Amino acid sequence: MAEKSKDEGQLPDLILNGVGSAAGGSYDRVLIDGVGKVGDSLTARLFKANGQIRVKGGLETGEMEVNGIMNLEGSLKTGRMKLDGMLHIEGSLKGESCALNGLVTVKGDCELEELKGEGGFTVEGLLSAGHADIRLNGAGQVREIGVETLKVRQGNKSMWNRLIGGIIPKLKSELTAKTIEGDHLDLEYTTADIVRGNVIVIGEGCSIGRVEYGSELSVHPGARVGKEVKTGD
Amino acid sequence: MEDELISKKELLDLTGISYGQLYRWKRKQLIPEEWFIRKSTFTGQETFFPKMLVLARVHNILNMKDDLSLDELASRLSDTGGFSDIRLTEKAIAERNIVTDLTLSSYGLDVQGDDGMYSFDTLLHLYVADNLLANGDMNLEEGRLLLRTLDSHTEELKGRPCELYFVRKMGVALFMLAPSPAELYFDEGVRLIAKVALGDLIEQLKGRLS
Repeated sequence: MAEKSKDEGQLPDLILNGVGSAAGGSYDRVLIDGVGKVGDSLTARLFKANGQIRVKGGLETGEMEVNGIMNLEGSLKTGRMKLDGMLHIEGSLKGESCALNGLVTVKGDCELEELKGEGGFTVEGLLSAGHADIRLNGAGQVREIGVETLKVRQGNKSMWNRLIGGIIPKLKSELTAKTIEGDHLDLEYTTADIVRGNVIVIGEGCSIGRVEYGSELSVHPGARVGKEVKTGD
Repeated sequence: MEDELISKKELLDLTGISYGQLYRWKRKQLIPEEWFIRKSTFTGQETFFPKMLVLARVHNILNMKDDLSLDELASRLSDTGGFSDIRLTEKAIAERNIVTDLTLSSYGLDVQGDDGMYSFDTLLHLYVADNLLANGDMNLEEGRLLLRTLDSHTEELKGRPCELYFVRKMGVALFMLAPSPAELYFDEGVRLIAKVALGDLIEQLKGRLS
């Protein structure tokens, strides 16, 4: 573990290697490899972590990259983020872009301009994104989605996966949401009460209670839609 | 006049914006989180907005978004920042036609700062008075009382949604300021002349200032 400060006027770096813990605070770069624990909220320009990280507070950073497991007890505010592995956030997530490969759990709201992901996620609040492109390899659970464009695909369609999904519902690669609202929605394997939007494509394996569309709607024969309503003129 | 709510769908129909735009503005904090009111209806959960506030805000955004980027807009519209430190001269107010000359000449001297400038709060108070005067609800002398009332409670009500009640009983004018949502009930002799949501006026005023 080493904490070194640079020239005056510039924020220090936080570098953790191996097993260690550190206090929170403001840093220029935070680099954690191994098992790291941060006692309080962190602010950093760059956050890079490999291994298992627990932050007992929030994290605010311009750029972040995580490989491994990360637990955040506060909220996350970030510019660009890249995640391979698991991320658990007790608060809310706010960021510019997110490249996801793995699992994310957010207890609050999740607001991103761009979300590109493979894996699974749980958002207990509102998932709001400019463009979301999701390949599900696990369960996706969101209370509410509000987007400009959304594309949902099932990642792995192998026999083996379907079998596991059939046995353990949590591993079923499906998106579940109460409401989904957006301009362009392209859904597959999605269960939702209400879907509202302008251009909507309901693909294979969907089960939707009510669809309200503005200009276009196409429904795959293998999808179930309770009620179709055209809104506007 | 109740605090009217408007459902998300109505809002979109009325203003012609899309879901995407609405959510984008929310992400950029152009529309504050508190305005998203969740209520259960027979179709499940629905989101509602305070009608006057959100319509004024959307109108402002649509008007300004051609000239400004969304981020600039956000800083301009954010509830506290941007405007709170604005100071205008009498001439600037008259030029922008924020309040009428009559209001300005009657009350201007009482409320302007030591340097002859008007702060945002002062402007807001004048704007309120001006509105009531223009509607013919209030006379000039009562306006002075109104300004004094508003002025002495500025601090307590800062950043909170608030309503102004203007009532009369036996010809005597009373002003009440209540943080909304509040419901007031009066005795029979009282006539409610006007109820003004200050938040709406703040929105309008911001629109005129920008």
